[in-house]
Amino acid sequence: MDERTSSTARRAGGERGAAAAAGRVLSRGRFLALLAGSAVAGWAAVKALGSLTGGWRINTVEQPRPQFDANAYRLTIDGLVEQPLTLSYGELLALPAVRQVSDFHCVEGWGVDDVQWDGVSLQTITDLVRPSPEAGFVTFHSLGEIYRDSLTLEQALLPDVLVAYRMDGAELPSDHGPPARLIMPRMYGYKGPKWLTRIEFRDRRDIGYWEERGWRVDAWIEA
Amino acid sequence: MDRGLTTSAAQDFIERFESPSRRIHWTLGILYVLLLLSGVTNFWPEAKALQFADVRVFAWLHVVLGWAFVAGLAAVLGPLLAPTPAGHALRADLGELTRAGLDDYLWLQHLALRAMRAPSTPPRAGKFNAGQKLNALASLTLSLGLAASGAVLGVNYMTKSVFGVGFVESVFPWHTALGLIAIPPLVAHLYLALLHPGTRESLRGMLLGRVRRDWAREHHPAWVDAVERAEGRED
Repeated sequence: MDERTSSTARRAGGERGAAAAAGRVLSRGRFLALLAGSAVAGWAAVKALGSLTGGWRINTVEQPRPQFDANAYRLTIDGLVEQPLTLSYGELLALPAVRQVSDFHCVEGWGVDDVQWDGVSLQTITDLVRPSPEAGFVTFHSLGEIYRDSLTLEQALLPDVLVAYRMDGAELPSDHGPPARLIMPRMYGYKGPKWLTRIEFRDRRDIGYWEERGWRVDAWIEA
Repeated sequence: MDRGLTTSAAQDFIERFESPSRRIHWTLGILYVLLLLSGVTNFWPEAKALQFADVRVFAWLHVVLGWAFVAGLAAVLGPLLAPTPAGHALRADLGELTRAGLDDYLWLQHLALRAMRAPSTPPRAGKFNAGQKLNALASLTLSLGLAASGAVLGVNYMTKSVFGVGFVESVFPWHTALGLIAIPPLVAHLYLALLHPGTRESLRGMLLGRVRRDWAREHHPAWVDAVERAEGRED
């Protein structure tokens, strides 16, 4: 009961002394093992967090996810055009390609800097199909026929609008809508449908999937 | 305290948390768990896409609960500053939780030794041991960090005209990192409070305000001594 009545400081000091006397402090070998273990665990944690906190957060309403089959895939460009066009995957890849490095911004607040896209400029595709004078809008359809979005023709013909089929030097991974997605780097990412399968020129605006749910039609990024 | 009216059964318990401490713990704690659960759906596209009435369920829930959490944190200032006995108890708990001493170091060393199966006896813990203090400090730090970064993202969810896209995108990874860091201590806390036989008794303290005296004497002997001295019951 002596211990109970002593002051905290004396009690703690006594504990420490007793611990040392009983040989209960960590031996050097165990201390180094603990240190090494903590260092490895810390390093692993930082590595894991680094790959999780930066980078892409995947969004898709196409469920089940469309499956890309290189043989069956067709990109149809039609609507109010003089020369409708259907491209196979190989024909899409054979069109004059451009490379673009741009920042990707999601409306949710995350972004990915310096993404390298390879693909075909929408200007190139538009020149091939020659829109008729009434065509003022372009709708982009996903393979699963759930998601779509649109741009005005003027927006679609900005020089950095791409039908992208490679990202950072590799074919689009399944999360990013292979074989091709629309890239409109001046607007939030929801303006760029993935699993792009149809480009339709229209005389009236076709409101997109998220715009039907209240999101902005012109999703310009204001820096 | 009118000792003449207390039954022997009542004397087997000891008051641990007054109602403001409990109310704050449960209000913020339940929101905290729901926020982490709705937050991790950000890594699960199929869950993220779930909609009700054209609104994404988890994103919407996360933002609404997040604002409730920010409001809850701000509302803590009321009881914390109140010149009442309950406010005093709350300030005392917070003071105990944020004060560390040699005993806390010894308690952690005891934990390390026991983890390596070395013989060790714990120091006599006060109302809170070092593990509880670390949990409280981690929760407080993470809550404030998550609330501040989350407020930026919450504003961005509602309007793009307040914060620039570059600022928002620099805050986003921090919010994610803090949220992920918050998971292991929360899992440990839930395990110790709900499942681990030796520590489960503490749940009664947070639910009803009191714990078994014999349990308290085993786990928080210095605190029981102090309480009994205050009660004039020192042996």
